[in-house]
This record gives sequence, C-alpha cells and structure tokens, in this order.
Amino acid sequence: MPLITVHVNGVETTKEVEPRTLLSTFIREELKLTGTHVGCDTSQCGACVVSIDGKTIKSCASFAWQFDGAKIQTIEGLANGTELHPMQEAFRTHHGLQCGFCTPGMVMTAVALVENNPDISENGIREGLEGNICRCTGYQNIIDAVKTGAKAMRG
Amino acid sequence: MDTTNITNGIGKSQERREDFRFLTGAGSYIDDMNLDGQAYATVLRSPEAHADVSSIDITEALALDGVLAIITGEDWKVAGYNPIPTKSAVRKAIDGSDLKEPPHHPLAIDRVRYVGQPVALVVAESIDVCKDAMELIDVDYDSLPSVSHQSEAIKDGAPQIWDIAPNNICLDFELGDQKAQKKAFSEADHIVTLNLVNNRVTAVPIEPRGALASYDAGTGKYTLWNASQNIHAGRDTIADAVLGIGKENLHHIAPDVGGGFGVKNGVYPEPILILHATKLLERPVKWFNDRSESFLSDTHGRDQVSTVQLALDKDGTFRGLRTETVGNLGAFCATVGPFTPTGGSSRTQGGPYRFDAIYYTAIAPFTNTCPLDPYRGAGRPEGSYQMDRIIDYAAAQLGMDPIELRRKNLIPTEDLPMKSPMGLDIDCGNFPEVFEQTIAMSDRDGYDARVQKSAAAGKKRGFGISMYLECTGGGPKEEAKVSFREDGKIDLSVGSSSTGMGHETAFAQILAGHLGLEIDDVVFRQADTEATAIGGGHGGSRGLEVGGSAVLQTSREIVEAGKKIAAHKFDVDADKVEFSEGHFHVPGSNHTMTMREAIDAQNDPDMLPDDMEPGALNISSVFERGIISIPNGGHAVEVEVDPETGTIKVDGYWVMDDFGTIINPMLADGQVMGGVAQGLGQALMENIVYDDGGQLVTGSLMDYAMPRADDMPRMVIGYYEDAPTAKNLLGVKGAGEAGCVGAPPAIVNAVCDALKDFGVHHIDMPLTPERVWRAIEDAKAS
Ligand code: FES
Ligand code: FES
Repeated sequence: MPLITVHVNGVETTKEVEPRTLLSTFIREELKLTGTHVGCDTSQCGACVVSIDGKTIKSCASFAWQFDGAKIQTIEGLANGTELHPMQEAFRTHHGLQCGFCTPGMVMTAVALVENNPDISENGIREGLEGNICRCTGYQNIIDAVKTGAKAMRG
Repeated sequence: MDTTNITNGIGKSQERREDFRFLTGAGSYIDDMNLDGQAYATVLRSPEAHADVSSIDITEALALDGVLAIITGEDWKVAGYNPIPTKSAVRKAIDGSDLKEPPHHPLAIDRVRYVGQPVALVVAESIDVCKDAMELIDVDYDSLPSVSHQSEAIKDGAPQIWDIAPNNICLDFELGDQKAQKKAFSEADHIVTLNLVNNRVTAVPIEPRGALASYDAGTGKYTLWNASQNIHAGRDTIADAVLGIGKENLHHIAPDVGGGFGVKNGVYPEPILILHATKLLERPVKWFNDRSESFLSDTHGRDQVSTVQLALDKDGTFRGLRTETVGNLGAFCATVGPFTPTGGSSRTQGGPYRFDAIYYTAIAPFTNTCPLDPYRGAGRPEGSYQMDRIIDYAAAQLGMDPIELRRKNLIPTEDLPMKSPMGLDIDCGNFPEVFEQTIAMSDRDGYDARVQKSAAAGKKRGFGISMYLECTGGGPKEEAKVSFREDGKIDLSVGSSSTGMGHETAFAQILAGHLGLEIDDVVFRQADTEATAIGGGHGGSRGLEVGGSAVLQTSREIVEAGKKIAAHKFDVDADKVEFSEGHFHVPGSNHTMTMREAIDAQNDPDMLPDDMEPGALNISSVFERGIISIPNGGHAVEVEVDPETGTIKVDGYWVMDDFGTIINPMLADGQVMGGVAQGLGQALMENIVYDDGGQLVTGSLMDYAMPRADDMPRMVIGYYEDAPTAKNLLGVKGAGEAGCVGAPPAIVNAVCDALKDFGVHHIDMPLTPERVWRAIEDAKAS
C-alpha cells in the first residue's frame, strides 16, 4: 500500500492508503474530516470540493495516493476558531444554505472563485458555480452571499 | 383562533442557528456517524425489470474474507416478517372495492418487478468487501415481458405485474359532481380539450439516503439513525407493522438530514434490512446509497398523463372543468403512493377560479418501474399545471387574452369563505388582489421594449402567469415539549422535522419571542422518538402550521402557568396578572416579575402556590390542526426563446404569495426560491426516462439534468399578508411546496406565449431545446 504524507488544514499526516481509495474517502474516513461531503458518483454535484495547493478539485474524482506532499484545505480549515471566514459569514447572512449538504463544496468553490477573480460579476459567479449543485436554495441567496463574501475578502 | 398577541420574534429575518455547524463542516449527517465495531451493508439490486428469480448462489461471495452475512428473499421468507404496508389515505376504488395492495417485502421474493429492486443484502467488514462480494453473487433471472409506461400498462394484453390487479390497476378514483359537470358542459359555448403529460421526476436531495442500526441484546432494543423525514410514523410501520418487534423497542432518530422534499418520507426496504442484520450479527450496521442507486431506488414523483377539458362561455366565463388522469405507482404501493394521483391531485382542481362544477377521475396503475411517492407538492403541482395550462391553451384557441380570462374568473373575495367544488375549505384570501399585485410587480411597462429588443436579436420573448391554489397536509398533530434547565438553557423538543427548513431557528424564535427569552439559550431537539411521544415529521408544508403552532401553544401554557407563580408572589389573583415583553405585571401596581424569575422560582416550593408542583413550567403540549390551510399566489415569468436552437432563457421571475402570517421572511423566501428552482427544473430539463424494456435511461447526474446556478433567473418575491388564516395559532399557510406548484405552468405558459406566432400552443415538459425546436419545426411544416 502506498504511504502518503499530506498537510491538511495545516496539520501534517502520514498514512498508508489503498490504491483504490478516493481522496474524498481518505479525507472522510481516514482523517475523520466529515465536512467534505459525497453527493454523487459521477463528479457532478461538487459537494466534495476541497482546495489543493490553492486550486479546487472534486475530491471524489481522484485517488488519495495522487496527493502525496500536497497541501489540502477542507471546509474545517476555513474558519479561524469561532470566527468564520468572510465567505462563510456571508452565506449565513444571506441564508445561502438550507440543508447544508452542498454547503462545504459551495463555500470552498466560492472562496477560490473570488481569490482568482476578486471583482467577479454575478454572471461570473453563476458560471463559476456550474459544477456545484444545490437542491434547496434556488441559488439566488448563494449568489448574493458570494457577492458579499467577495466584497469582504477584498477588504 | 386568536392570532393577535403573538409577541416579538415573529416577522424577523433571524439568522439561522444551525448555520455555524453546517458552514464549518460540523454537521452530523448519517454518513458522518460511526459506531464502534460497525459493519457495512450494500444492496444487490435487480438488473431486470420483470423476471423470475430461479436461483441465487451466494457460496462464493460468503467465502470471501470479511463477508459477515448475505441475506436473500429466501431468508426473509423464513424470518416471517410482514410486508411494508401503504398508508395511502385513499383506499377504495370507485366501486367501493379495496385498493389492490401487493405484498411489498424489503427483498424480492421469487420475482423482481423493477430495475433496482433489492435482491440481497450483503454485510461485510468494509464497503469495498461488500462490493467485491456483490460481484460474486450469482443470480439466475428468467426474464418476463415488462411494461414501463402507464398508458401501456392499462391496455388489454399488457404484461401483468400482479395477479391481484387485472390490467395492472391498483384503484380508480372520482371526485366531484359528474352530473353537474355534464350540465355545465352542455350549456357552455365552448369546450376546449388539452392532453398533457406531467413528467416523471425525482427529488435528488444532495445527501443520498442512508441509515445506521444497532441492537442491544440485553434490552432487546434497536436504535435506527435514519436520513428520514418522518421518524415517528416510520418507527410505527417498521417496528409494529413489518418486524413485529413493538414500537417501544425501536428508538428512531434522524440526525442532520441533507434535503428530503418528500423522498425521505416513506418507509424504504434498506433500513429494515439493516435492522434485521444488526440483530443477526449483534454489531452495528451502516448502509449508504450511492447516487446511481438513489436514481434507481428513491421514489419518483409526478408522472401523470391527463386529458383536461374546460367549458366556458363566449364572454370567457368558466363553467365546468373535467380532468381525467392516469397516474403511475411503479411496481408497488409506496407509503403514500396510491394517494398522489387520486386524492392528492383532485383536491385543488379548479385552482382559485370559479366554476359551476368540476369532475375529476383518475386511474392508478402499476408498472415495472421504481415506486412513486410524494415529491414536493404531491399532486398539487399536477393539479395546478392542468388548470393553468388549459387557461392559456383555451385563450389561444379562442383568441382571448389569458390575463383577462384569469381576471374574469378568479373567485371574488366576497365568496369567501367557501367550499370549493372539490370540497376544499377555502377560508380566506384575496385572489384578485394577489393577481393584480403579481402583475404589478412584473414590470409590464417595460415589456414591449424588451420584446422588440429580443426580436432584433432574432429571439422570441414571452410572458406567462399562473395562479396557484394549494392545500397543506401531513400529520395533523404535533407535540412541543419545553423544559428549563438550572443553567438557564431551555430544551425544546418538537416532533416535526426539518431537512433544511430551519426549524431550529424558527421554532426557537417563536418560543423565545413569546416568552421574552434569549433565542441562543434554546437547545433544539427534533425527529427523535424518545424526545417527543408523537411526531408528524415533515411533509405537506406542515412545519410551521402544525409544529410552529404546537410551540406557540406550549409557550402560551407556560405563560399561563407563570402568571400563577407571579400572582402568588404579588399576592393577587392570577387573572389580574398580565404578561408582555418578558414581564409579568399587574396593571395599576408596580408589581413585576420577569419570565426568568418565574422560571427560577418554579423549583422552589416556597415560591409556588399550593396547587403547583415544582417544575410546573416544564410543559409539553400537543396541537392538533382541524382543517388544512390554503396557501395561494401568483407566479409571473418572462422567457426569451431562440427559435433557431430551441434554447430558453428564463429572464424574469416574480412571485406574490399568500402564506398568511410570515414568521421569518428570510426562511420563507428560501422555501419559495428553492421550490421555484425545482419547478423550473421540472418544466425545462428534469425527466426520468425508462426505456420499453424497463431500464432506467436517466440513472445518473450525467443523464438527469438539474438546475444549476446559471439556469436560474433572479426571483423577486412578495407576500400578501392581509389574510392570515384562523385554522392554526400562527395564522400561517404552509410555504414549503408552493414554489414548485406555481412554477411549471407559469414557465410553460411563457414559452407558449413566446412561440404563439409559430402556432405552437403546447409542448409537453420538459421543454428541452430539442422539444422546443421540434415543436417550432412541426408547426412550420403544418
Ligand atoms: S461527490 Fe464529488 S462531485 Fe459529487
Ligand atoms: S443547501 Fe441543501 S443542497 Fe444546498
């Protein structure tokens, strides 16, 4: 079994993984970080999005062993203790979540969208969230949250 | 009922208390839970739509390292459990005979009847081992002819799915006065007929279904954590009706649930199977569907083929409505299954429009497909679609204006309260005003300019409207239990369950607001058979109406009990004491006591009157709703269609809802917007398709299209709040389902308006680019 070392939310971990273990399974079952959700098996829903070395990926669509040495950020690594990241805060203010299942992937995607394009437009946000499905909200409050989050992140 | 004197806490957009946990990844959904020593289960599902199972060979699979048990239909027969019963409220056919209820066992016994039906449960040390073992199970199927579509199923000579159901018919149904309808039709100037299909869709909550079961051999008690919306009813069915273990021996709990929309309401095979397995192995067992399995095995919704006829006079006055529909139950009667196309679709026939008479008939047949059960709206979206589509279709046929036709026929306020021709108790509302407000908010002044602009770009713009009228449902009773802890925290347990609707906030808001306490002190518990004795779960937009009313009722009883404590302290009669803004006081005196002080006093016998026991403010109360409420409203839509490609852009969306009193506008908006997205999905893209051999063609998110962020328009939502209902304590009319009731007809009306110059007046949902393009080309050709 391959042995991998990853830095997850700033903590270094070394573990053996089976070749067929998906990154999402590794994060959830081995690292016990259950905020990363799995909503599909065809990499369509985006509930599993995490950030790797600053870029978002769908963690259900890759194997864990591919990420030896990587810096991984999951939803658990976003807030600073009880102080929410501005994007999380904006989701709360705008009621950008209902059941919360899509939320970790949505927030991780939104943060990366804004980091890459701080002045992102409403259309840009809508297109940028193409890979994340939310069944509860109708997206409008998510869009508004991302706008507010972007503003707060610009400072 | 007294709907005044609801103190602060109501009407505020309070931020949600559950959000911190969800936003930081700290939610606890089923798949996040694990127990020591837990085993895993997966389900081997039928690849055949209809076949005899001649043999199942599990020898090789059982020999695999790590496999703990394999349970098949044979084992189930030996165990002697009962089938899963349907709880359909409609149980008799028109001739008075009972509905045909085939035995629905959690595992196929001898024969499979739909692709995805559970054939065996595999339990092993890990999911991977389960999956490897499933590969090694050898099932021999002898294929039988199958039937996927309801219109085929009821024909003579169609493959027969159940011996007890000739022509595959479970039951037929009628409602309304046929004689009066015929009379209205014979007197009317015009009769317009429209055949339409309400497409089969599925809820796709982003969290798939799953459950975790454990068994305590010492006490004989089971615990089931289940991604379910209906914990108490589910417990009764599973423990009493199916397994026969006694409901007191099943502790049923729903942790955080990642969306439901009706699809997590019914009783499914898998949780029952793992309860059996956990006892057998004396180990906790966890099962979790993947998305492909969810498409095969989560109940589907809608799926009606209907003929609608509208009789009207030359001046546009509606006279009669006649709807004939063929629903689809799938291969079994699901928990509510037979009710949806029958009672469920019948009650709101005619919408908010005035008719002399309405007559509704339905047939509910079996097919070799996954069972159908409620999906958000459960029958009302179908009824609303039938009504508001035939209006626009009739307007097009007769050269009338669909807006004027509606304006002319809306039930005037002076007619309320009334009983609709379908027997619905419409107590209050103002349909003409809601209609005018819907139109007023939808920027009609700028419309012509936008039409020109679209035309200049080679596009067609259209406007559509629907006026929905719906009714709530679900369990009529709810318990709300409050107890005050010494540390100041307040435990609030309610039997209804939230799968994202924000009860943790809204219910706490009602309690804390009414008592004048801090919402942050409320510790909320829901969906747990040990937290409340009864519980109606979720469904029928009942959360606030019944659950919220229960919380208010308990709050009021706490205030009444508190008055006695205050009166004892002030040494006055309790009826002299008043309560407002968190204080007990006696008018004209300077006596005052806060709710907090009364709570602190409740455990001190010296502070209590003689007839009060310590803990007298810890109160549990059951609210029972008498009559269901009638949410209603208008949806207006603007679309732009590209006739070259058939693509549709929904460009404007306006909703005016009458939900009675609005408790938390932010949460109400969320319900409406999510519902509109589901309605838009059904109208434009979602479609469950089975081929003629019974194979599911749309078995993944690659094939089943769902609205994404860039498919949705910006929605503008308003509330008509001048007609609170007296049917519950809060004056609310359930908000949960309305969005997806109003959206499909409004959207299809808008598209047909855009395409009217081509002579296109109806297209069946979903209005995919291909269907739209074909409709235009066909119209051009004819
Ligand atoms: S779980 Fe990864 S995209 Fe759905
Ligand atoms: S909040 Fe439920 S899926 Fe997005």
